[in-house]
Amino acid sequence: MKALRTLDRWIVKLEEHILSYSIILIAIMVVGNVISRAVVGSSWAFHQEVSRFAVTVATFMGISYAARKGRHISMSAFYDLAPYPIRKALAIFIPALTAVVLFTLSVFAYGYFMSLVESGRVTTAMQVPVYLFAMFIPVGLVLGGIQFLRNMWVNIKEKEVYLAQEKKDYS
Amino acid sequence: ACGSEDAGTDGGTVDEGAGDDGAAAETYNWQFVTEEVQGQVQYEYAAEFAELINEKSDGQINIDVFEFGQLGSEVDQVEQLQNGIVEFAIVSPGFTGGMVAEGQVFALQFLFPDDQEVTQEILNTSEALNTHLAGMYEAHNIKPLAFFTEGAMQWTGSSQLRTPADFENFKMRTQESPLIMESYRAYGADPSPLSWSELYTSLDRGVVDGQENPIFFIEDASFHEVQDHMTISNHNNYVAMTTVNPDFYNGLPEDIRALIDETVEEMQPRVFEMQAEMNEALLESIENDTANPTEVYELTEEEREAFRELALPVRDFFRDEVVGDEGREMLELLEEEIAAQQ
Amino acid sequence: MIATMLTIMIVLLILGFPMMIPMIAASIVVVLFFMPNVDPMFLVQQMMEGISSYVLLAVPLFIFAADIMSTGKTSKRLLDFVGAFVGHLRGGYAITTAAACTLFGSISGSTQATVVAIGTPMRKRLLSVGYKDSSAIALIINASDIALLIPPSIGMIIYALAAPRVSVGDLFIAGIGPGLLIFGMFAIYSYIHAKIYNIPRAKKYSWKERWNVTVKALFPLGFPAIIVGGIYFGIFSPTEAAGISVLYALILELLIFRTIKIPDVPRIALSTGLVTSAVFILVAAGQAFSWLISYARIPQMLTETVLGSDPTALQVLLIVAIFFFIGCMFVDPIVVILILTPIFYPAAMAAGVDPIHLGIVIVFQAALGSATPPFGVDIFTASAVFNKSYLDVIKGTPPYIVMLLIASVLIILFEEISLFLL
Ligand code: NA
Ligand code: NA
Repeated sequence: MKALRTLDRWIVKLEEHILSYSIILIAIMVVGNVISRAVVGSSWAFHQEVSRFAVTVATFMGISYAARKGRHISMSAFYDLAPYPIRKALAIFIPALTAVVLFTLSVFAYGYFMSLVESGRVTTAMQVPVYLFAMFIPVGLVLGGIQFLRNMWVNIKEKEVYLAQEKKDYS
Repeated sequence: ACGSEDAGTDGGTVDEGAGDDGAAAETYNWQFVTEEVQGQVQYEYAAEFAELINEKSDGQINIDVFEFGQLGSEVDQVEQLQNGIVEFAIVSPGFTGGMVAEGQVFALQFLFPDDQEVTQEILNTSEALNTHLAGMYEAHNIKPLAFFTEGAMQWTGSSQLRTPADFENFKMRTQESPLIMESYRAYGADPSPLSWSELYTSLDRGVVDGQENPIFFIEDASFHEVQDHMTISNHNNYVAMTTVNPDFYNGLPEDIRALIDETVEEMQPRVFEMQAEMNEALLESIENDTANPTEVYELTEEEREAFRELALPVRDFFRDEVVGDEGREMLELLEEEIAAQQ
Repeated sequence: MIATMLTIMIVLLILGFPMMIPMIAASIVVVLFFMPNVDPMFLVQQMMEGISSYVLLAVPLFIFAADIMSTGKTSKRLLDFVGAFVGHLRGGYAITTAAACTLFGSISGSTQATVVAIGTPMRKRLLSVGYKDSSAIALIINASDIALLIPPSIGMIIYALAAPRVSVGDLFIAGIGPGLLIFGMFAIYSYIHAKIYNIPRAKKYSWKERWNVTVKALFPLGFPAIIVGGIYFGIFSPTEAAGISVLYALILELLIFRTIKIPDVPRIALSTGLVTSAVFILVAAGQAFSWLISYARIPQMLTETVLGSDPTALQVLLIVAIFFFIGCMFVDPIVVILILTPIFYPAAMAAGVDPIHLGIVIVFQAALGSATPPFGVDIFTASAVFNKSYLDVIKGTPPYIVMLLIASVLIILFEEISLFLL
């Protein structure tokens, strides 16, 4: 158990670093290109590709972090109005099915990643393999799926309703 | 009204026909994806191709044509063709340069002759393209059936572009491709890759000073409204390929394959005519747009020569940095074929 | 197939699933059970495609800049400046918010970026002077709509490409009338709303006090000046302006006000990343979904059924309005414009609709659809950025929906509203 908890702490740290440095990277690329073009007169050919990479990484690696913090957007009208037993049942069912969907999608994402590995296609500007861009998608989806399973588990274990592992429903 | 029967779920498959004369009554539903929209060369080509095939097959073959934007980016479309979920695609080699680097040969400037008809003739008959280059695409599960030009590429600018000196410190919007960027560096310009969706505004405000495109596209995207000068430079051609998924194609009965081949061949002069008419008419419309005056200038043979000289070393960049031995041989053969036509 | 897809989406949505799931689950089920020849990996290809548009980069960058400025002093000083001049007026802050959204939108061209960049600071101030959060948010997401109508509008550039022989310049001019119409409606509403709810007015500042506030806001005022000036003088593009605003915010807060230190920057970026992910995963899911319905040619089937033969100009425009409105509830407006325009354009021309007028109706409906429930990228963005539940975000929107519907009827019926400046 203790090892798992340590692993979990490591994963959170990793997710936090990936998320924040992706955003910083986008800012550096866009600003750097403007300055280079305006001052030196030469554009950074790679700035669009690096930014696109960072956006992809942030989006998919953020699934699990947003799930942990209960920040995924949902339409909760029915949920909010439902009586406790139904809300409790939903609090278990929703993350469970969400995890199933994400795991399924991660299988397809792995398939897409492998097809890019096989095609050997490289990007236009940097001439690096395109599969590098898609690599984080299956990983992010699996981590996201695991996090939703934990959101489900906390609702099975505890009496209160949790919107996410780290977010109790106070209503 | 669920529509699952004809909703693209049966792409490339054969349906049981309603008639009772066996194989002859089989019907086909295929998808044809293009990189352009209505009124532009690729889409109009595909639409006419679909109509012709439908007529010739007495309605047995139905082709749905997709405009750009419906199935994702150009590269997405190519992947869908390779996978066979669309049967036909028009592909410009520029977008597949990451896979078949040799396709970037069309980005070389002042390689093909100035004369469009001669250029198209080379595209039709060249062994370097139709055998060598086509073979490289087939190795990636893309079968080119024909090459055609959508028109010569032209320059537009906020200032006049007649000599290499005019490109000094000129911010030229290009694709992200190293070869294209190298081509403009050779003239002394600052190549600036910029997202297409921001190009109109950026030309208007001077973030970049100029761009390159065929005439029909310049007019369609209204770039002439925010540019004062256009140079008929014919520095290279916007070349596209009619392609098909090879597994699908090879699996077809021989008569159907012959029908496709015949139609592709018939379309070659048609698409040449189409692009010529379109580019001519739209050039006129740019010249007649008095609200947004654009000075149109055609390079003289001497002026072309000055650019050609600077563009020649870029072929070394192509040979050394872009392709391998196969590509070098292809370029050599192509250069011979072009020389033979002149 | 359509029935299965809709059922899955609606049921999962109502149960309160994270909003990416209804779209993804419906797409997966359709591919697996109705399209045996389609490899489901293309759903992933399209999710990746959905977030790879360069213009979308403005969203995380503006969120980042807004996060930095609201952590430090920039945001507060800018708002103090605004307050000193309009705080004493009835509905002053609300009208200023609407004006700021219009101006900013005209620069960034993106409704989502506007929600973030103007919404984040203005919402705080609106709350502090007594507005309900639901009214504040509703005002912000709806006023941000105007962004698509005022040049340089990305929506119009995309329409011009999809519609043969339409001038981008003409579209830009034609958007001004409808943009001002909506701004006017919102301003009048803000005034009446403030009167009815008796929103307290701040004391009137003396000119000396105003001077003091202005001096304090001098550096922060460089923010709009640099953005507008940089784009106008062609130093950077609208998307790049988002990056420059991050740079300027960092210079102010790190070097001049010294309210944050270098180690704080990754922490702020983390919160930006979290919001970006929550919004972009929906953009990604929307793209996969839209690819699927395009591949199945559902829009073509539906329009053929609905348009029938020989529709009148008014019929075409009404159907266009409905289709774009619905389409943009699910998918990014840019994608919808690219997909649906070619389908309607020929019928509209045959019915004698002016192509510029058609463009304005389309762009306006696209903007409207992205700010109205149930789906709407602006709603998602507001929900993520303000950390409010979906319901809280849409609670205050009904009055705006009514106004926008009126505006949309006017714009459809009277083409002069769009064409009078041409
Ligand atoms: Na156009
Ligand atoms: Na002009």
